[in-house]
Amino acid sequence: MLLEVKDIHVHYGKIEAIKGISVEVNEGEIVTLIGANGAGKTTTLKTISGLRPLTSGSVIFDGQDISKMPGHKRVEAGLGQAPEGRGIFPGMTVHDNLLMGAYARSGDVSAELTQAYELFPRLAERRTQFAGTMSGGEQQMLAIGRALMAKPKVLLLDEPSMGLAPLLVKQIFEIIEEINRRGTTVLLVEQNAQQALQLAHRAYVLETGSIVKSADASALLDDPAVRAAYLGGDLGEPSPNGQH
Amino acid sequence: MNQMNALSRFRSSWSHFSDGVRDRWAAAPGWQRWAVYILLIIGALLLPSESLAPIMSPYSDWASVLFFPIGTFVVLAIGLNVVVGQAGLLDLGFVAFYAVGGYAMGLLGTRLGWNFWEILVVGILICALSGVVLGAPTLRLRGDYLAIVTLGFGEIIRITARNTDEIGGPNGIRGIPHPPSIEGFELFGIQVFKYGVLDPRPYYYMLVALAVIVIILVKRWEKSRVGRAWAAIREDEDAAEVMGVPTFRFKMLAFAIGASIGGAMGVVWAAKVISINPNDFLFLLSATILAAVVMGGAGNLPGVMLGAFIVAWLPERFRGLQEYRMLIFGAVLVALMIFKPEGLLPSRQRKAELKGGTGGMGSLGADVPGPETKADVIEGADK
Repeated sequence: MLLEVKDIHVHYGKIEAIKGISVEVNEGEIVTLIGANGAGKTTTLKTISGLRPLTSGSVIFDGQDISKMPGHKRVEAGLGQAPEGRGIFPGMTVHDNLLMGAYARSGDVSAELTQAYELFPRLAERRTQFAGTMSGGEQQMLAIGRALMAKPKVLLLDEPSMGLAPLLVKQIFEIIEEINRRGTTVLLVEQNAQQALQLAHRAYVLETGSIVKSADASALLDDPAVRAAYLGGDLGEPSPNGQH
Repeated sequence: MNQMNALSRFRSSWSHFSDGVRDRWAAAPGWQRWAVYILLIIGALLLPSESLAPIMSPYSDWASVLFFPIGTFVVLAIGLNVVVGQAGLLDLGFVAFYAVGGYAMGLLGTRLGWNFWEILVVGILICALSGVVLGAPTLRLRGDYLAIVTLGFGEIIRITARNTDEIGGPNGIRGIPHPPSIEGFELFGIQVFKYGVLDPRPYYYMLVALAVIVIILVKRWEKSRVGRAWAAIREDEDAAEVMGVPTFRFKMLAFAIGASIGGAMGVVWAAKVISINPNDFLFLLSATILAAVVMGGAGNLPGVMLGAFIVAWLPERFRGLQEYRMLIFGAVLVALMIFKPEGLLPSRQRKAELKGGTGGMGSLGADVPGPETKADVIEGADK
C-alpha cells in the first residue's frame, strides 16, 4: 500500500469536520473520494498534503508515518498536489509556474518540463503568458502540470472539473488517465461523481465527515443509493459549486 | 462616461510608456545599467545642494528634510517592502523594529559607551532577532489577522518603552553619541565625515551609503531562490507549501530581513538626533510607510522609493499651507488610488496578480478583484 489514511479526525476549531476517515491507495491506482458540499473531501486531501493538522489518526505514506511532517517535506517524500480552486501563481508566467512545481527538487528538470508541455500542448502555446490571465481550464491544466514537475509518486487532485465546461472536463480526465498510465498513482477528489467513477478504479463515498461506502468504482456506478444521491437518479444533478 | 474614457486612455497610454521603458531597461547591456546606477547615486549625493533648496523645501532646511523624513522613509519603505511587497505579509507594526534600532543605539551608546559602528552591527542583529521573536508567534496567522497582531506588537514595544523607567520612560534617552568623525576630510567645502550637530549633510551621505547597500542586498535576494519563494507565498501560500516551499521559514526570513533594515535605519537616525523618546515611534509612522509602499507600487523597488519620497516630501513642501497641507496630502493619496490603484510604478508581476484577482497583496487581498479584473476570473476565485 502506497498511501494509507488511518482513522483521521480533523477539527476546525471545535467543529469536527472529519470524523474518522480511513482511505487506502495502492500503487498504480486511481482512487476517488466523492461526496456533496461539506462532506470533508477537500479537508481530507489537505490533511494528506499537510495543510491541515489532524487531531488523531495517522497518515502513512510509503511505509512512513507522515502525520507530523510539514507540508513542504511531504512534497519531497513524493506527494504532489494540485490544490483546490486551481491555486496557480497568477503573477508568474506559465513557465515560471511549472518551475515553481520543481522548487523542492534539485538537478535537471527539463524532462518533466517537456512532459508537461507534451501532456498539455495548450500550456506550451502560452508559455510566457501570466497564469492569472488564462481561462479556468488552462489554469487547471497548469495546476496539474505543475504538480507533476515534482515527480510525485501520488498525485492529489482536488476537484479538477470544478467550474469547467463538459468538453474540457472530458479532456482533463483523459489526461489524468494518461498520467496514471505512465505510472503515477492518483487520488482524486470530485463532486462530479459520474465522471470520477468512470475514471477511477476504486471509490469512497463521503458524507458529513465519514465514509459511508467504499467499493470498486464500477460497482458504485450501479449502486442505487449512490445513483440517487450523486448521479442525478431522482434528485437531479448536485450543484456545481464547490464546498465551504 | 467621457471622463472614464479619458481616464482609461490615460492609463493605457501610461502603461504603454512604462512597458516600453521596462523592455528597454531589460534589454540594456550591463554597462549601461551600471552607468545609470552610478548617475543615480551621484544624483542622490548632489541632492542637498543649495540651489535645489528653495524649490524643494522653502520652509525648512532642505538637507535636514532629506535625512528625515525623506531618506529615512525611503530606507524604511525598502525594508517594509521586503515584508509587504515581496512576501505579501501585511505588517502594521513595522515601526517597532525602527524603535528597537533607535533604542539599541541609545542604550548601548549612553550606558555602555559603545562606538556607533559597533552598535550598528549589534543593532542589526538585535533587530533580526526581534523580527524572529515577533514573527514566530504571529506568522502562523494570515492576512488581516496578521495585520492586527503586528499592529498590537508595534504598540506593545512603544508602550513598554514608555512605561519602563530603566530606559527613560516617557522622556526617552538623551545624549546619544554621534558617530565618530574623521576630521579634515573635505570635499567641495563640506566636511563629509564630520558628524556633528550643525551640518546634516554627512548623515545624509551615510544614509545614501546605507540605502545603496540595502538596495543591492534586497535586489539580490529578490532574484534568488528566496525571492521566488516569497513571490509564491505572496500569490498563494497553500500552493507554495505544496510546491515544497518551507513557507513558515521564508516568512520568518522576510520578517527578520525587514526588521534588520528598519533597525539599521533606527540606529543611524538615533545617532543623528541624539535624543529619542517613545513618541517618535507612533503607529502613524507604520501607517505612513505602508502607504508609501502601496502607493509607490509594492514589490517594485523604484516604485517603493518614489512612493516614500512623495509621502515624505509633500507635507514638507507644503508646510506653508499649515493645517491645509494634510488635507492636500490626503487628496493626493486619494487621487493616486483612483488613477493608479496598483501604485505609481507597479511591478509587472504585481499587475498580473491584480488582474488575476488576488488583489496584489498576497493572502490579504485574496479574492478581492482588482480594478480591471474580469468577471469570470472573480467567479472562479470567489469560491
